[in-house]
Amino acid sequence: MGIGHVAVIGGGTMGVGIARTIAGAGLEVTLIEKDEPSSTAAHAALTESLEQEIARWGLTAAEKQVTERRVAFTWEITEAARADLIVETVTEDLDLKNKIFARLDEICEPGIIFVTNTSTLSITQLGSRTRRPQRFVGLHFVNPVPKTRVAEVIRGLATSDETVEQVKQFATALGKTAIEVFEYPGYVTTRLILPLINEAIYVVLEGVATAEDVDTAMRLGYDFPLGPLALADRMGLDEVMSWMEHLFHELGDAKYRPCPLLRKMVRAGRLGVKTGEGFFKY
Amino acid sequence: MKILVLNCGSSSVKFQLIETTPELIAANRDRRLAHGAVEKIGTDEAIVSCEVTGRAGLKFSREILEHKAAIEAAVGCLTDPSGAVLRHPEEIEGIGHRVVHGGERFTQSALLDDAVVKQLEDLIDLAPLHNPHNLKGYYASRALFPHARHVAVFDTAFHQTLAPHAFLYGLPYVLYERYRIRRYGFHGTSHRYVSYRFAQLHGRTRQDYKLITCHLGNGCSMCAIDHGKSVDTSMGFTPLEGLLMGTRSGDVDPAALLHVMSHEDLEIREASSLLNKHSGLYGVSGVSNDMRTLLAEAGKGHERARLAIDMFCYRAKKYLGAYFAAMNGADAVIFTGGIGENAPAVRAQICDGLSALGIAVDPARNAAALGVEQDLSAAGATTQVWAIPTNEELLIARDTLRTLLGIPHP
Repeated sequence: MGIGHVAVIGGGTMGVGIARTIAGAGLEVTLIEKDEPSSTAAHAALTESLEQEIARWGLTAAEKQVTERRVAFTWEITEAARADLIVETVTEDLDLKNKIFARLDEICEPGIIFVTNTSTLSITQLGSRTRRPQRFVGLHFVNPVPKTRVAEVIRGLATSDETVEQVKQFATALGKTAIEVFEYPGYVTTRLILPLINEAIYVVLEGVATAEDVDTAMRLGYDFPLGPLALADRMGLDEVMSWMEHLFHELGDAKYRPCPLLRKMVRAGRLGVKTGEGFFKY
Repeated sequence: MKILVLNCGSSSVKFQLIETTPELIAANRDRRLAHGAVEKIGTDEAIVSCEVTGRAGLKFSREILEHKAAIEAAVGCLTDPSGAVLRHPEEIEGIGHRVVHGGERFTQSALLDDAVVKQLEDLIDLAPLHNPHNLKGYYASRALFPHARHVAVFDTAFHQTLAPHAFLYGLPYVLYERYRIRRYGFHGTSHRYVSYRFAQLHGRTRQDYKLITCHLGNGCSMCAIDHGKSVDTSMGFTPLEGLLMGTRSGDVDPAALLHVMSHEDLEIREASSLLNKHSGLYGVSGVSNDMRTLLAEAGKGHERARLAIDMFCYRAKKYLGAYFAAMNGADAVIFTGGIGENAPAVRAQICDGLSALGIAVDPARNAAALGVEQDLSAAGATTQVWAIPTNEELLIARDTLRTLLGIPHP
């Protein structure tokens, strides 16, 4: 099976990052949003991220043009029927995802693989609602998608070996090293980074060190490109909290309990980069 | 013998069909029957163009997803009844493949057999951007032309005569042993062709001269050729070193790059793109990587366009001096490549003020020489200056023929 055209459902940060990565690897992308304003916003976000890459010397103006031309923007989900592979990246909402996959299941050929970028929901559960659970698989990228070099390929209970293999090849074609994980809350990356962030917040809460010093310690001591708190600010503290709650709920272990300071900051609306203030000011 | 010459890149295949024999080579009368290109491979709007010498060109667009289909399309053009340079593909007896990197193993063109292909695969690490596509072209054409024999012609082979003191860097020797870090040099086919042609125009051989060849195109390199052997060349481990180029920096203190990487927190990929795609004439001028545009802009008073041209010419002049020293003189300086063949102002500026080396360019001859073989030297100059259009495809065809017939490569 040759994958030449991918439909990406959802144009948020992950959707745009994934679309850019796929287009950067030379494939055609159709990015599908729910309506025209969201589609326009996704297009603007792609343009901006490519411009940032030019400023960092990673791309030339000509390469930006080529990449941008490979991405079509639409709010017609039926456009997905032309794609060789579907990648879903909408909000972590089971009902919404189920609804989208039900619609995709109607319009896409039965052989087409459905990929979800979920980091918390069950692949098995999502896949079981479609006619193609064996061709339903998870592919979890780490933000910022164009930069990070790993992708987790998540196998649901019914996912076939062939599907896993094809999606691994797809990830490799995007320049990512694929690791295979079995469905389990948080997989590897999310499961390990969230408790670290949570613990860093406890360190601040308990007055052990300032946010700056916590991040400095981890950046310089363990070569983290970003400190855990700056990373949390980028992810969005509301997202961090909801993922922690999910892990806590799913795994039932107190070590996943969201730190009270995290709750307080979310309640105060200090969500990180997107609101201009989190542990740091932006 | 009809030879197909293929130059396969990541998304393009350039091809020429050339008729050549040893007699035609000696008379410099072997000729191109057709040439063309397939571009934007991997898309549903790939562009196929082909021109049979002396006839109107053919151009169309269609879906071509990989190299095999691209070469098939090229052969389709060559056997097209309207053009009809070939009745059927079996008429092609030899296929010459441009291969960028031959490492230290290939000192001349080589018949592509299983052992050679295996060695080329091992070399991918040294030229990850080029060799894989060159090989793709080989695999595709082997499937399409099972009756033909295939020859690899390397950009690096001509420079394998460099001595260790010229090809090694001042890095720990162990890095040469571990990773074969050294100067390889590129554009070897072009340097070799124009030096051969210069000697042929004088009724002699390359072994009779000390020559400095300047291939100035979008990529630029110079070569010191001492009695037929390349003894130094400006490109190094990759085609980034040496002269200022369209978008490549050429020589730069590596510590300056490390400084920028640290200040701008750049990854290797970004730093590589900075040096290869954002620098050179384009990066300095901020206007263009095209010398024609820069000359026009400089003429209108654009200061950084002027600066970029000045830097370009000064760098080339420095290398001229270096190669005069390396060979204790030179009989001729030869300009080739898009800029070298067509930009009299650049040739004049590089050669200006080199009377100490016996170089003087005749302004009228220089101005008139556009894309032609021409002696540019002023009366009384002791070092000749020439413009000689390069023809790498022709040399690839000739090497292919000679390899197949088992006769030596001059």
